[in-house]
Amino acid sequence: MIPFTYAVKEIRRRKYRTAVNIAGFIIAISTLITLVMAARGWETCTKVPLNSIGTDIILFYTAPVKPAGTGCYIVNHLFSYPFNQTLLTEIEDVPDVECAVPILMHRLRAMVFTGIDPSETETNAVLPSSIIEGRYLTAHDGYVALVDNEYAQLNNLTLGSTVTYAADFEVVGIVEVSATNIMKSHIYVNLPIVQEVLPEKPVGLVNMGLIRTSSPGKVEKTATALEDEWPNSSTLTGSDLAETAFGVIQINEDTAWSISIALAVITILFTIKSQLSTVAERTKEIGILKAIGWSNSNVVNQIAIESVIQGIIGGLLGCALGYIFASYVLSTIGGEIGGALNFITIDPIILSIGFGISMVSGIVAGLFSSWRAARLVPVDALRTI
Amino acid sequence: MPTRNIIEVSNLSKTYRKGSAGEVKAVDEVCLEVPEGQFLTILGPSGSGKTTLLNLIGGLDKPSGGKVILDGLELSKLSEGELVRVRREKVGFVFQAFNLIPTFSALENVEVALAPTDMSKNERFERSIELLESVGLGQRAHHLPVELSAGEQQRVAIVRAFANKPRILLLDEPTGNLDTKTGREILRICHEANKEQGQTVVAVTHAGYVRGYTNRLLFMRDGKLFSQIPQEEFEEPV
Repeated sequence: MIPFTYAVKEIRRRKYRTAVNIAGFIIAISTLITLVMAARGWETCTKVPLNSIGTDIILFYTAPVKPAGTGCYIVNHLFSYPFNQTLLTEIEDVPDVECAVPILMHRLRAMVFTGIDPSETETNAVLPSSIIEGRYLTAHDGYVALVDNEYAQLNNLTLGSTVTYAADFEVVGIVEVSATNIMKSHIYVNLPIVQEVLPEKPVGLVNMGLIRTSSPGKVEKTATALEDEWPNSSTLTGSDLAETAFGVIQINEDTAWSISIALAVITILFTIKSQLSTVAERTKEIGILKAIGWSNSNVVNQIAIESVIQGIIGGLLGCALGYIFASYVLSTIGGEIGGALNFITIDPIILSIGFGISMVSGIVAGLFSSWRAARLVPVDALRTI
Repeated sequence: MPTRNIIEVSNLSKTYRKGSAGEVKAVDEVCLEVPEGQFLTILGPSGSGKTTLLNLIGGLDKPSGGKVILDGLELSKLSEGELVRVRREKVGFVFQAFNLIPTFSALENVEVALAPTDMSKNERFERSIELLESVGLGQRAHHLPVELSAGEQQRVAIVRAFANKPRILLLDEPTGNLDTKTGREILRICHEANKEQGQTVVAVTHAGYVRGYTNRLLFMRDGKLFSQIPQEEFEEPV
């Protein structure tokens, strides 16, 4: 255990240098964890709310459209006026638009009542995959509804029960809709029925279009094209949603990794430089060790152990600090989208990777500097003061 | 039966380049044979090449010419690994400046020489304590070098050199940093090792009183060895 004892003594002897080295590891690792988790949170803000319902763009009108209808609250603070459903057929002719699905969402106090076209099973306010009990709607359905599981439990609704919103509906399916689903409603009914039963009688009208594009790279371009073509319309994309999530570092995960890896490389170089200075200060000691029969590998092990110990301490503290920072950053995600993303937790794999990078950095720095130390000729090393 | 030579040095040279001064021959065509069990002392003024010669004999430095045969092994033909084994198993060094590791206790400074061997932790500990006790430092085993007197530090350095039971002990100015009384004590320890365990000792020094402990004296000046000792080299009556 001499090498370990020696390493601990050296670390204690060079407190300042050790502290600086460890601080380097802490900064690199905690930054990595914070950035990656924040980026993941931001990407979730960007993608999950829309992607979970298979759409890229939500189209709506914030000003009355002729023929005028009554506005309905939709997502959070967005207010959408009804527009003619045939508009969506025109939208489907726009380049890069794969489909435009009609939605009529009506809100009465806290209750949200949504009309959907059940023939659209890939992009819709609620998808068949959300069914946990009963069945999905069909185009021929009349006064039947899907109800949200939470709402059903609160109101003791089961299959066959009756739920009331402007009319009575028989519950044929219970759906589990994630809090991240921006279209989360209490009741889903066939669109023509909703148009028929609402007091405003918005026959042939909808107040949202869910638009799917041909590729993720076309989303922003298509949204702009739609707003240009229909000047009074507004679009909501993943990026718009992310901007409403305050307090989040708006970078993607690839960028976060790139920054983190660059930081890790800088840390390795810094630690190598620092360890080389340590080796330079201990040249005579290394000469003594070689004179009394230590081999090059003994010397390499010795110096590398010191560096690895620093890497381990730095990695553990970096992970702990990263966990705290990332927890704080993630707790701020949500904002305008109602804390819907609080489900994001710190990934233990990221912590492990952070710790691993710290260890590897310690090993690389240790091996490089110890290799330099091992090459010293004993007599030259002994001559140093 | 004649004693075999444990050290054989032939035409050994070491040349340094010193900037505009050109080449300096620290060791110049030295030939030397040291029979096993001999206590050889090489006297000479500072800069005469004594330490360089000792470093070459111990495999700490590489010669510019000539060869060193140590216990039958020609050093220049050994690999780095084999040279490490020679330094670990056949040679024990004692330096003028003690060269102890400052963060290690006396005990650990001895143990560190045993660390690369196959000995267990307990064996290393017992051997180190036994050695320290043999030079009266049993009670000082856990003291750091800075807490020891110069004589005590040199005794630790000597037992570190003894740790691996080397057949050759190389002493580089072992009394250089000590007063005469302490210096004599150090030489007595080396003398006993030479007499009782048959270790071959080569000491380089400019302290004349070493004569009383040695059985062969040589003189070195300007990198060359002489068997005649100039009287002025003795600083004090023997």
